[in-house]
Amino acid sequence: MPKEGYLVLAISILVALVIVFVVSFVLYKRTPVPKGCENLKVNEENCSMCGHEECPHYVKKEEEK
Amino acid sequence: MAKEKGHTKKNFLKGILIENPLFVSVLGTCPALATTKTIEAAIGMGLLFTIVLICSNVLVSLLRKLIPEEIKTPAYIVIIATFVTIVKMLTNAFLPALYSTLGVFISLIVVNCIVLGRAEAYASKNGVFDSFIDACGMGLGYTLALISMALFREILGSGMITFGEIFTFIPLTRIPILTYMKSDYTVVYDYSISLFSTPVGAFIVFAFILGVMAFIKNRKNELKTYQERQEKLRKAAEAKAASMQGGNQQ
Amino acid sequence: MKEILTFVLAIVSAMLIDNVVLSRFYGICPFLGVSKKVKSALGMGIAVVFVIVLATVICWPLYNYILVPAGIEFMDTVAYILVIASLVQLVGLFIKKHSPSLYKTLGIYLPLITTNCAVLGVAQGNTDQALSFIDSLANGLGTSLGFLFVIVVFSCIRVRLESANTPKALKGLPIALITAAIMAMAFMGLQGLFSGIV
Repeated sequence: MPKEGYLVLAISILVALVIVFVVSFVLYKRTPVPKGCENLKVNEENCSMCGHEECPHYVKKEEEK
Repeated sequence: MAKEKGHTKKNFLKGILIENPLFVSVLGTCPALATTKTIEAAIGMGLLFTIVLICSNVLVSLLRKLIPEEIKTPAYIVIIATFVTIVKMLTNAFLPALYSTLGVFISLIVVNCIVLGRAEAYASKNGVFDSFIDACGMGLGYTLALISMALFREILGSGMITFGEIFTFIPLTRIPILTYMKSDYTVVYDYSISLFSTPVGAFIVFAFILGVMAFIKNRKNELKTYQERQEKLRKAAEAKAASMQGGNQQ
Repeated sequence: MKEILTFVLAIVSAMLIDNVVLSRFYGICPFLGVSKKVKSALGMGIAVVFVIVLATVICWPLYNYILVPAGIEFMDTVAYILVIASLVQLVGLFIKKHSPSLYKTLGIYLPLITTNCAVLGVAQGNTDQALSFIDSLANGLGTSLGFLFVIVVFSCIRVRLESANTPKALKGLPIALITAAIMAMAFMGLQGLFSGIV
């Protein structure tokens, strides 16, 4: 295969990866939480030190102040 | 939109002390521990981090009305990864010594919680200029935090401060502090604790800086509660005095 | 036989001697954040092992058979973060749909893995050191098992630490970091363990 072919393949794979990522992200968000896990919460003491703002259980640091 | 006076200044300064990403929010700890062995590496890391943060914040802020709410996070990750790649290639081309010192940690700026956190929490909701100032403040705050950690580690670990090893455009200078050197850099005596340039030292220095921050915060809180209590007592006494007076008048 | 020995030695060396958290400083955030309870530490550790091994298996061929022939090696970081993020989302999606019990234990940790430096660090490190597929796999396995090991041990110590009488200013994160420093010191003692064998 010529180099251009590889380039097209690589770019299409990268684009495909982006699409897979976006689709799975949206699907993950839209999938309802399974039964019994609705109020799945980590204790506040457990989470208070974690810095991940993405985490749904992230306790905002500003509230402490 | 009318803004209060000094808004920009406040916005810039908050990243340095009140909301310092490393010492207050404790985000981005991985590079903070790994790249603070020498002050130069810390400066380099902080610089690259700030560049990525500014670029991503500005672009996210520019595109904030175009990106659909639902795919925000994936879009930000792609934007950040692109800028990290650009910064990585530029570093490799112009500062190869910095590139080899920081190694994989340049790529790891992508997964640094601060960049994504600022994009989501600030740049996606505010204008371009505000986001730019916010990024500058946060980047400077992070850089200063890295430098303060590296200061302890380099002085205690190697006994001297070295410049010119990574930023090769400045001449090589060594400032001895815990060591004594002749003019040709041959060490005569050396009181450094090499433990501080190992990972152990990184953890210890970080722990004690956080401890000192917590100590100051505790003292402030204690002082505040003490003052509040005093105020309350004074008010109570005044009220009592007033009622006594009132009683006398009657 | 020699290959197997090398493979095992590479795993153990990545796991203990060059430990991911205590000497390479990847994944400090979850190490400090999700280690207050042994159960949550175990959940996080297992999730990380799973994602790192899968990511290594996908990223190595992606780099060597697609990016290199196309001449766009510089896109590695972008490609890896995309692979890792989609992997995390897909695994999360699968667990959410088909296994509520697994979701109960791992669900809350999955979104955190995308921003765990260890995953991207391993993928990028394999590329930067130009490791072969088997070596990459050993590195990934060893690193992730090292993470699991250290985070579980650390959480066990922290449970005890809760009831200890620490100075007020050092409560919480600072004393945890000092504990990590002592652990790092212990792991430093393992350096040179295999110097006579390999």
